[in-house]
Amino acid sequence: MKKIGWLLASLLVLISLTACGGESDEASGSDVIELTVWNDWTEDRPENTVYKDMIKKFNEENEGIEVKIESIPHDQYETKLRTQAAGQQLPDMFRVWPGTRIAPLVEGNALLSLNEIVDEWEGKIPEGILKDYAIDGEHYAIPANISETSLIFYHKDALAKAGFDTFPATYEELKSLIEKLKEQNVTPIALGNKAIWPLQSVYISTIADRYTGSDFLENALNGEASFTDERFVKALSVIEELANMEAFNGDLNTIDEAQSRSEFVSGNTAMHFAGSWAIGPILDSVENQDAIGVAPFPSFEGGDGDPAKIAGVAGGGIALNSDLSGEKKEAAFTFLKYFYSDEMFQKLVKANIIVPADVEMDDSIPEVFQEANSFAQGGLAPVYDATLTPELTDIINNGLQSITLGEKTPEELAEEMEKESE
Amino acid sequence: MQAAGKTKGAIIIGLLPAILIYSVFAILPIIQSFYYSVMEWNGFSDMSFVGLANFQALFQDTLFWNSVKNNIYVVLASVLGQVPIALFIALLLNRKLKGLKIFRTIGFLPVVLSTVVISLTWSLIYNSENGLINELLRALGLGGLAQNWLGDTNWSMIAVCVTVIWQFVGLYLIIFLAALQNVPEEVLEAAKIDGASEWTTTWKITVPMIWDTIIVAVILCIAGSLKTFDLIYVMTNGGPSHSTDVMALYMFNETFSQLQYGYGSAVSVVIFFFSLILIFIVTKLLGRKML
Repeated sequence: MKKIGWLLASLLVLISLTACGGESDEASGSDVIELTVWNDWTEDRPENTVYKDMIKKFNEENEGIEVKIESIPHDQYETKLRTQAAGQQLPDMFRVWPGTRIAPLVEGNALLSLNEIVDEWEGKIPEGILKDYAIDGEHYAIPANISETSLIFYHKDALAKAGFDTFPATYEELKSLIEKLKEQNVTPIALGNKAIWPLQSVYISTIADRYTGSDFLENALNGEASFTDERFVKALSVIEELANMEAFNGDLNTIDEAQSRSEFVSGNTAMHFAGSWAIGPILDSVENQDAIGVAPFPSFEGGDGDPAKIAGVAGGGIALNSDLSGEKKEAAFTFLKYFYSDEMFQKLVKANIIVPADVEMDDSIPEVFQEANSFAQGGLAPVYDATLTPELTDIINNGLQSITLGEKTPEELAEEMEKESE
Repeated sequence: MQAAGKTKGAIIIGLLPAILIYSVFAILPIIQSFYYSVMEWNGFSDMSFVGLANFQALFQDTLFWNSVKNNIYVVLASVLGQVPIALFIALLLNRKLKGLKIFRTIGFLPVVLSTVVISLTWSLIYNSENGLINELLRALGLGGLAQNWLGDTNWSMIAVCVTVIWQFVGLYLIIFLAALQNVPEEVLEAAKIDGASEWTTTWKITVPMIWDTIIVAVILCIAGSLKTFDLIYVMTNGGPSHSTDVMALYMFNETFSQLQYGYGSAVSVVIFFFSLILIFIVTKLLGRKML
């Protein structure tokens, strides 16, 4: 018995030891450089298909390099990225968002500067847009698109039934439209705020800009202005007012953004406020593209901001891991140059994505897209969650949700934000 | 026993792989959490020692106490909901019943389902516009009772608790059924001969005989509810406006969404002690020596 016991024990130890050490002898022998790219291209939409196709084509044309795609759903993507970054286990390349969202990664020296190759895009992408991905003069990613976060999509016939031939240009008119729609038993606006960012990113980014002007956010963050500013509180009150007049679907806090979009597409609501990311999916899933209209946010009386502006930010950047060196680094640079090319920008425009580079558009491009594209000409206002710190973003996200439930007043939220930013 | 003494060395070596893995993946992270909890750290940059400042901030954070309160609701719902319901059904099923296997399988089914599936299904059931519950109420002419179950802060925690109870009743049902099968026939027969009614037999004989199993079930229940996370994460992510936030969710959001690894570790440490104390109290209260 004793002997068998010992035998079994040593066998177990042996198995567990070999199981741990099995990985070391692979990956040598082949000359292909493998690069993994993390992204959030899980949704089946034209934009994501363009990115994936570009990578597929790159792999076919570059025999020595193999780019592997790993997709993670958007809502979990950034959490995963941060967690892996903390454990220093980032992949070779990964999709990043500009401004404060890459700042912690830069501070932690997780990103490789692209200044060596940034000349490639000189004259193609305006400096003002390139700099969205730059911190202290170092570029960390190249933008593939411009994301406008505040567009209003509407069903033209629903508006016509309510007596509106064109979309309201002022907030007062918008409110009377909402009242008219409610009289006809039509839910005015589809909103899916379960993930709590839409009210902030889509709504407040532009509404607050209309009231406060574009310098306010920067000033409030560095202490020269205060979030308790009357104009900012007024912007928050707009959400309260819309919620109180029941402008939204009743389940606004329990459905997510994509669900609310399909509510709009299926005609259950007259309007849907969303960013340019919704253009493609909406146009793809409606029966008649001409029945859909797009409008900028209305003007607000007494606001100090420029009503022609729209909240927007550069996006689609892929950052490189700071650990890359030698062959792998060169391969990654080759990939970036190939990826962010005119060819991709052309394809993106066809997929109804607003791009930073100047590309020509023909008649095959839907009107909704051309119009949305033209809104960017009025100038970009800062997007709140691309500018605020993670703590402040969390407070305003949750606060806006509380406002829709009547559990917090705009004043209380403003004070809470001011306290945090001090 | 003597044989065991001789092969002690072999036993230790046999246990070694398991102990090693357990230490590296369970014990070590707990110790690490203790270390991080006295640091200020955003996950990337250098850590700096801040003493007990994290705990100080934590105990003053109303959101944390809100999550503790909600967590206690979950514990109460589990202990007072899951265990009695499971025991009741188990007692019913513990007789020669036609279709026993079918009932048992149905009862156990939710335990096998993935939590994400359960969360999404129940979210649809609870939906205020076209969810099953509200549609049913409206069809019965009780539209006035229809609620925005997950979207209304008065109802959201109750709605979540109902789902939690539903999810795990089956687990305890199986545990109790197994225990009931071990109650010796002779004892029950003796009681019958002595003229004890079904009611008396159940309370005076059956339940005391499986009392140890009940205690284990209660402890499993408490430990499980204190770390409840996945179901609520998918169903509401703590919303609306923190009304369904529980401790693990609060810890997760503070740590990973707001990049406060030190603070988040402090929350973990508090959860750790909280669970330890609660389970200690329960074992004392329910009597019987445990472990």
